[in-house]
Amino acid sequence: MSLKKIFTRGLWKENAVFKLLLGLCPVLAVTTNAENGLGMGLATTFVLLCSNGVVALMRNIIPSGVRIPAFIIIIATFVTIVQLVMEAWTYELYQALGIFIPLIVCNCLILGRAEAFASKRPVFSSLVDAIGMGSGFTLALFVLGAIREIFGSGELFGVTLFGAGYQPMLLMILPPGAFISMGLLLALMNKFENR
Amino acid sequence: MFKDMARLLIALTLIAALSGLLLSLVESATREPIKEQRRLQMVKALSAVLPEFDNAPDTDTVTLQNGVNKKGEPVEVICYRARKDGKFVGTAFKMIAPDGYSGNIAVMVGLRPDEQVNAIEILTHAETPGLGDKIEEGWFKDWFKDKGLDGTDWRVKKDGGDFDQLTGATISTRAIVGAVAKGLQLYKDNQAKIQAAGEGS
Repeated sequence: MSLKKIFTRGLWKENAVFKLLLGLCPVLAVTTNAENGLGMGLATTFVLLCSNGVVALMRNIIPSGVRIPAFIIIIATFVTIVQLVMEAWTYELYQALGIFIPLIVCNCLILGRAEAFASKRPVFSSLVDAIGMGSGFTLALFVLGAIREIFGSGELFGVTLFGAGYQPMLLMILPPGAFISMGLLLALMNKFENR
Repeated sequence: MFKDMARLLIALTLIAALSGLLLSLVESATREPIKEQRRLQMVKALSAVLPEFDNAPDTDTVTLQNGVNKKGEPVEVICYRARKDGKFVGTAFKMIAPDGYSGNIAVMVGLRPDEQVNAIEILTHAETPGLGDKIEEGWFKDWFKDKGLDGTDWRVKKDGGDFDQLTGATISTRAIVGAVAKGLQLYKDNQAKIQAAGEGS
């Protein structure tokens, strides 16, 4: 498989959120606005990049009998690093994403890529795969976050979009709004795909 | 079979040890910045709720005992004291409202020596976005300014008190009103101790 294909497949054809429906817990929970979605996406991408790289690097050393616990240790290490770094230098984002950062550990997207891709491929293509999958994940979170923020608070990145007369659809930033917008987006995508 | 097992154990142990080493490095590199961030956050909240001061309230503290929690352990409240030209001008401390709509709400309450609220600040909460999270807004926090235990009924209007409840967020409002009132009472009961100079720090 060419590197370009590895990269673009994560963006669209095998998009983790819209196509594989992986890691939906953080997707639905943190996307109350575009900034949180973007932040969570980037944090996940960073963890994915590191874990894919290290897993690919160690793919011949890790005995297959303990590969899953080994992957989890590697992922948890990078998640903890992300958490510490965010708390030290991007405190506000850290507070907004709160409990969802540690949950990156159990995002099945990351373990899935380690198991299905990085443990069998060389380092470079694993990194490309991570960037592709991560960008697709970030894109999905950003789109969902933006939609919910626009309808739910009438803002985008905290900038008011509509006049004072706009009554925000509060439901959109509440948990049901996550399911509703996710469902509508998926339906819309399926419609266009099936043409 | 045993050899296999040993190989697995050694591999996993090595990976875990490496990860521990890496984490200890990162932890030591971020320890100071994280401490500083938390301190800045505290100073920001203190400056928002205290009257004008020229000392460093975050290091001028006195610790009070305020009842016991559910487990029977004593609850400690750290009072940060503000001074101007060496004179006590106010104190601030964190009150936890355990009865928020979703979990605890931490409120920084700033009080003046005349037993009135100078200002309050919401530190952490998980109230409903769009309804309960209005407690973060300036106009809501201003309701509490210059109010003391005397002359104000510290209940929401629905319960017969003086405070309007936020639409759709009576529980959040009630929690904050209750926490601030408890803070005022705490100050009243411990005034001498809080104002005593030099103690703590």
